Amino acid sequence: MNIKEYILSGIVESYVLGLASEEERVEFEKLCLQYPDLIDARNSFEISLERQVLEEAPEAPAFAKQKFIDFIKQPETNSETNVVSIQKSIAKGSGFRWLAAASIIFVIISAGLAYKFYNEAVSLKSELQTAKESQARLDNRLRILEDQQKVINDPKISVVNLTGMPKAPAASASIYWDSTSSNVWLLVKNLPQLPDTKQYQLWALIDGKPKDLGLFDLPNGDHKIMIKMNNTQKADAFAITIENRGNKGGPNLDELQTMGKIKL
Amino acid sequence: METQGFLFNHLLTSKTTYGEVELVALLQQRNNQAFTYLYDNYSGALYGIINQIVPDRESANDVLQEVFINIWRKIGTYDLSKGRLFTWMLNIARNASIDKIRSKAWQNDLKNQSIPEDVNNLESHLIRPNMDNLGFRKIVGRLREEQRTLIELSYFQGYTHEEIAKGLSIPLGTVKTRIRTALLQLRSMMDQQ
Repeated sequence: MNIKEYILSGIVESYVLGLASEEERVEFEKLCLQYPDLIDARNSFEISLERQVLEEAPEAPAFAKQKFIDFIKQPETNSETNVVSIQKSIAKGSGFRWLAAASIIFVIISAGLAYKFYNEAVSLKSELQTAKESQARLDNRLRILEDQQKVINDPKISVVNLTGMPKAPAASASIYWDSTSSNVWLLVKNLPQLPDTKQYQLWALIDGKPKDLGLFDLPNGDHKIMIKMNNTQKADAFAITIENRGNKGGPNLDELQTMGKIKL
Repeated sequence: METQGFLFNHLLTSKTTYGEVELVALLQQRNNQAFTYLYDNYSGALYGIINQIVPDRESANDVLQEVFINIWRKIGTYDLSKGRLFTWMLNIARNASIDKIRSKAWQNDLKNQSIPEDVNNLESHLIRPNMDNLGFRKIVGRLREEQRTLIELSYFQGYTHEEIAKGLSIPLGTVKTRIRTALLQLRSMMDQQ
């Protein structure tokens, strides 16, 4: 398509003034997406037209403004459907007028119902989705709590309470340790939130030497959830330190938070 | 609400060149102040175009009322990418005016004034005293007669190209070409001003 010729064909003016046919309108809008020059041409005519119409514009009657202001201030009256425009589409011949009226009413009612049902379906679907998500969250939490319960009730498990060290007197956590299977669970009772660059790390002390039992972040929310840590067969004591995120080295004992010795 | 207040202040402080995008955003949020601003700035121009189509003062007032209510109702469907806000409002005003003069009640009034309504008497619709000196019509009035008639019938009376072709016994293709030529002529006159 030669867009220059198209622009100069009078289509721009015809489109802007609302004189283009439906077909021409659709084509024009499609071409606008493709040719910025066409948009420029449209815009420039729109501005000329606006200037022309605004020039010497008469004063609108003052009472009309008040009526309009009153209208927009009553939102409840505004939502009613505008039925006025339907009147003119009713067939001009009187013979079929009742049929036309009936079918229009039928169409309006059907459209209204379809719209209502569609909205209800959309809303129900979204409610169902929310309910499913909530159900999954609860199931998951229940499973965790059941596992936790099993650990707590297991006779083979010994509990080691880690108490606050001088650096963090209020810090508190418990270790659930199964020395037969070497499984270690940690239950954080009170540890402060850390900046993103830091993580907590659990250590087992064996013959005075630290063994890494894993880095951890505080569980989301304030739920007291057990965290499964690395296994250890031996331990004389457990300790928690604050380390840089992803720490690969040994414990930073200056940041010792809690510690608890195994009572044998 | 913060941004709304900011946008609105921005709008009020830049009276000569308001941001159309901001204005549209406020209107689409049904901001009453933005609608008042719209009314204050554009009701006159829209009233002008309504008056050029609906000569009866009282009916023109009704149409103006209807036009602003329609703008309020339909603002959500306005698409910035398809043209300027003013063009959109102008077309709402023109369509409402044409609906008015095509309405049954209006046609009945015309009958009482013994002006025929059938398309074959299009020429008789062209008697419109005291309307040629306003805004857009003023410039249409400067077209040569054949072109003026076509713009009069299509733009101000809302006849389709087909109706005009039939009414004036001119081939449809010719009607279309002549209207396009007349529009280009109009534009060049507007640009020369």
